[in-house]
Amino acid sequence: MRGSVLGLFLLYLFGAFALEHAPMPEMISWLQPAWVMLVVTIMVLLAPQVFGLWLAFPIGLLMDVEQGTLIGVHVLLVAIHIVILQLLYRRIYLFNVLQQSLVIFLMIMAERIVQYWTTAMVDSQAMPVPMLWPALISAVIWPWIYALLYRPLRRMQ
Amino acid sequence: MQIQRVAVIAIIALTTMWVDKSYDWFQPVRYALGYLIAPSQSVAVLPMSMSEWMGESTLSRRELLTETHRLEARNFALERKAQRMASLEAENMALRNLLSASEKVDERVLVTSVLAVDPDPYTQQIIIDKGGSNDVFVGQPVLDSNGLLGQVIEVLPFSSRVLMIADSNHAIPVQVNRNGVRAIAAGTGDLHELNLIYVPNTADIQVGDLLVSSGLGGRYPKGYPVATVTKVDNIPGKSFASVKAEPSAQMDRSRHLLLVFEEGAGRVPPEALWKGKR
Repeated sequence: MRGSVLGLFLLYLFGAFALEHAPMPEMISWLQPAWVMLVVTIMVLLAPQVFGLWLAFPIGLLMDVEQGTLIGVHVLLVAIHIVILQLLYRRIYLFNVLQQSLVIFLMIMAERIVQYWTTAMVDSQAMPVPMLWPALISAVIWPWIYALLYRPLRRMQ
Repeated sequence: MQIQRVAVIAIIALTTMWVDKSYDWFQPVRYALGYLIAPSQSVAVLPMSMSEWMGESTLSRRELLTETHRLEARNFALERKAQRMASLEAENMALRNLLSASEKVDERVLVTSVLAVDPDPYTQQIIIDKGGSNDVFVGQPVLDSNGLLGQVIEVLPFSSRVLMIADSNHAIPVQVNRNGVRAIAAGTGDLHELNLIYVPNTADIQVGDLLVSSGLGGRYPKGYPVATVTKVDNIPGKSFASVKAEPSAQMDRSRHLLLVFEEGAGRVPPEALWKGKR
């Protein structure tokens, strides 16, 4: 993989963490898409041989610190995200964008459920996790992410 | 093969989660990683601070002058109050000396501004722009210009997370300013409502009473306004009255907050309080 592509990945990740933090009006704060997960999706789809499960540790830990969750939750979630993509990426290449959106929706929904389950296992006072809307909004913006961030990189390779 | 690896990661993750919940061993890790996410945090608020700067630097001379006049008038009024305050404080200290009680000195404060609001609708937390590099500590009380707002629950190098008093996991010991009746104000998850719990039906609490912090928890300083009582319901047959109050702090509006450094209070972790080692 070329250095410029790697640099772009780092830039994307930086942007995703910034957006994850961006101040939103109280009314629509639950519409925040799972930016980092979308960037992880791009990275794994572009270079499945390079970005394996090891990626879950740095990104998951950073997300845990950023969101103030228990250390390890997001490591597990990113690991699940990556492993599903690793198992499915050949099929996802053949899907059209809408089918890919559906996959993204199901994955993020499933991860939110896992997040709630694992937190509830450890912490008896766990709060519910917003599930439906973040997954839906991530799926809705996936076509744009695909066209603006994924396709140009695909052509660069 | 990969599924097995995920299973291993799941076990590791559950273990670290449990450790993080029960002990504070990962606090240094969090703090160190805080340096890494600090740049993205400051980029996230760039548009907001830019527009604020634009707004400030394009104010007209007229507007600035009226603003200055308004502030000068306000300053006069406050200074008049402060003059009386000095003599009252001296008198208070003399009286306290007579009672041989410890004297309360003015606390040191640090001004901070809100970086972000936690998007999670089930918790009421905000992130502020001061952190470990400014000596912020876990458990530190946070005020806005109208009253108590919350306490620091997590410290990163350049930012910290504040749990607001309206969070449903938060409760604060209060006192009615009029007569000193003590109660506990628990958050409801609604930014405009606190719930006074375990108030006997006969307690003298009326609508409009100001609730101030009593300082009994050993965490918040004494005497800051917390809320105003909005509703008192004595339900016959129930053991406790239902009392609602509206927080004085403007939790959904304040941009600038104060961190209070007080000797003693706040530095005590809650576990140490019930274990009896202070």
